[in-house]
Amino acid sequence: MARAVIAGPRDKLASVITTLHEMKLIHIIDHHGEDDTFRIGKPLPPAAELSENLVKLRSIATLLAVKTAPKKEETVRIEELREKIVALELNITEEDAARKKAEALLSDLSRRIDELRPFAALGLPLDTYRGYESIAAVVGRIAREVSAADFEDMPVEVFLAPGFVAVFTPKSTVDQALGVLARFGFTQVDIPAGEGNPKDLLDEALADLEKWKQRLVEIEARLDTLRERYAGFVIAAEEVLEVEVDKAEAPLRFAVSDHSFVIDGWLPSARSPDLRARFEAMGIFVESEDPNGAHEAEEPPVLLRNPKPAKPFEFLVHLYSTPSYHELDPTQFLFLAAPFFFGFMIGDAGYGALFIALGIVATVRLSRESIWWRIFAVTAIGGVWALLLGLFIFGEAFGVPFHPPPTHLEELSFESFGISIPIQPVIHKAFGVASMVYLSILFAAMHLGTAYIIGFVNQIRHNKKHAIAKLGWFLCLFGLFTLLTFSLRWNPIAEWVWNVPLGWFPRTIEPLGLSGFVGVRLPLVSLLLIFGAFLGLTESVIAPIEIAGLLANVMSYTRLAGLGIGKAAIASAFNTILFRGMIFPGQIGFVILGIVFLVMAQLLVFLLGWISAGIQALRLNYVEAFIKFYKGNGTPFRPFGMRTTQEV
Amino acid sequence: MVADPFAALSAAITMAGTGIATAWAEKVVGGATVGAMAEKPELFGRGLILMVLPETIVVFGLVIALQLLSKVGAP
Repeated sequence: MARAVIAGPRDKLASVITTLHEMKLIHIIDHHGEDDTFRIGKPLPPAAELSENLVKLRSIATLLAVKTAPKKEETVRIEELREKIVALELNITEEDAARKKAEALLSDLSRRIDELRPFAALGLPLDTYRGYESIAAVVGRIAREVSAADFEDMPVEVFLAPGFVAVFTPKSTVDQALGVLARFGFTQVDIPAGEGNPKDLLDEALADLEKWKQRLVEIEARLDTLRERYAGFVIAAEEVLEVEVDKAEAPLRFAVSDHSFVIDGWLPSARSPDLRARFEAMGIFVESEDPNGAHEAEEPPVLLRNPKPAKPFEFLVHLYSTPSYHELDPTQFLFLAAPFFFGFMIGDAGYGALFIALGIVATVRLSRESIWWRIFAVTAIGGVWALLLGLFIFGEAFGVPFHPPPTHLEELSFESFGISIPIQPVIHKAFGVASMVYLSILFAAMHLGTAYIIGFVNQIRHNKKHAIAKLGWFLCLFGLFTLLTFSLRWNPIAEWVWNVPLGWFPRTIEPLGLSGFVGVRLPLVSLLLIFGAFLGLTESVIAPIEIAGLLANVMSYTRLAGLGIGKAAIASAFNTILFRGMIFPGQIGFVILGIVFLVMAQLLVFLLGWISAGIQALRLNYVEAFIKFYKGNGTPFRPFGMRTTQEV
Repeated sequence: MVADPFAALSAAITMAGTGIATAWAEKVVGGATVGAMAEKPELFGRGLILMVLPETIVVFGLVIALQLLSKVGAP
């Protein structure tokens, strides 16, 4: 990144903004206006009108419920926008007011109908409930049937309708009557306004309701027509206006004096000659300089550059934190590690092929900007690993192994279907738990080791002491790894690692007798290496305590084995139950049901695997590895003129 | 692998205990994360990291359970 300053006379400001917007090159640094001569600029004159139009347009879009862009693109000219928006607004607010009125009336009417309905069932004219000097009418809903006999010798007259009662009684006995009614689950209601037969009133209200419903449908239809006709315009106009408002308000970020302006910002170093050529032709002064080394305190914005296959992983890095300008971009680290872990946890040729297929479908159907495309692309790369590992290491597809393990020939496998696949598994998941766990530890050592090396490279340019600490941690990790390999060497893979790649490692057992205390024999050099953590004292006082933390980090990778075996176990349980219990016996009804269940079960395992393996693969990178070398907190490069797309 | 019944029981208790502990911790963290995300949606990334941190507990449980089965349980 290079820092650029663009300065010129104020009357050229508008044309400079237009050019900058076109070039999409400068990440503007906002001017805060602490200076007396150079204050914050004022928006260009059309800004107020443009913003007003934009607000109107957005309200129109909400009223019309315009959401997605229509198929055909419309071109909009900024000059005729205002007229069109005002006309449209008038039209739509009228319809909207009519709609609101109709909706309000409808809700009033339906309330009135609810009130009137029980009174219509009772059949007494509404005026008979009111206007007595000594008699009160108690009306309401009841839960259980009541009759005049229940009031014993109280002077009452009772009128009944299903679930509803009207009791007329002298005012002196109202309380007593209420007491009786309370036993029947009585809730009093008000007597509706109006006179005459409630049945007629109800019919009238129902007719009104129908009429207004009809009107509302008509209004909605008119709004629909408006939406169809203008949706394209609204979307296109909103886009155009947003750009114009962006341009008109840009001076708020510049330093402006009475006669001149200064724009401060960053741009990719390689592009600064372009910028200079373009502006110097316009008579504008441009100065740009690469601040590398000179201004350590500067934090330029960051534009990630990665080879194409690693591109979809950039969003995962931003999700954690944008890298700062002074450190290595971890995207490629993530690109190598995360899909491999994902593939190891899935470890199944069938699901791997499905992930790849999903990725291909997504590439054909979705835009490259879409977050879903990136998610599918990332999992498809994981799927490639899952396919390879599933074929050649685990020998398994859709939870069914190619061959049964030699000690358990009765297990369901592809041989049970008479299919013979000429690939022998290296590890049979359910019976190779120790191998899976050891492999996880091996990957932990490689992953964390790489993380420490990157951390060392990051730090050596800034802080030698911290770089030494990283080196110390690397040694400590190596010590822990050799120790674990040594004590797990009863497992054939660990034995191979101990004898071949670690063949040079000194095999002397420590002479102090610690072995008896810990219960395992400890190679001397491993023990010494673990003390490499004391180099971490250059970074932090509590470093030696962190040895346990590092061991916990390493152990945390056994989730790779755990999830891999767990997923395989769930899938194989479903498969065995459904094949042996429903499909193999061969009754046609059960076979069909069994196949339906099988598809559902496979889908469940697939989705669960996707979510859990995806999150865990990310987590191992985010939590265990990134902490070792990655700080982040950078500002993403957002050049002026680039439409801001939602990150996640 | 035929395990000693007590070793098998211990392994089961270990898995259950660590599983419940993880669930409890994630419940607390998850609730707080969703609350924070309602105000600042860009915290999703950080929230996800915090959310999956307690899973290590159950992974340790798994390691201990495997140890119990293979070391204690072996005849």
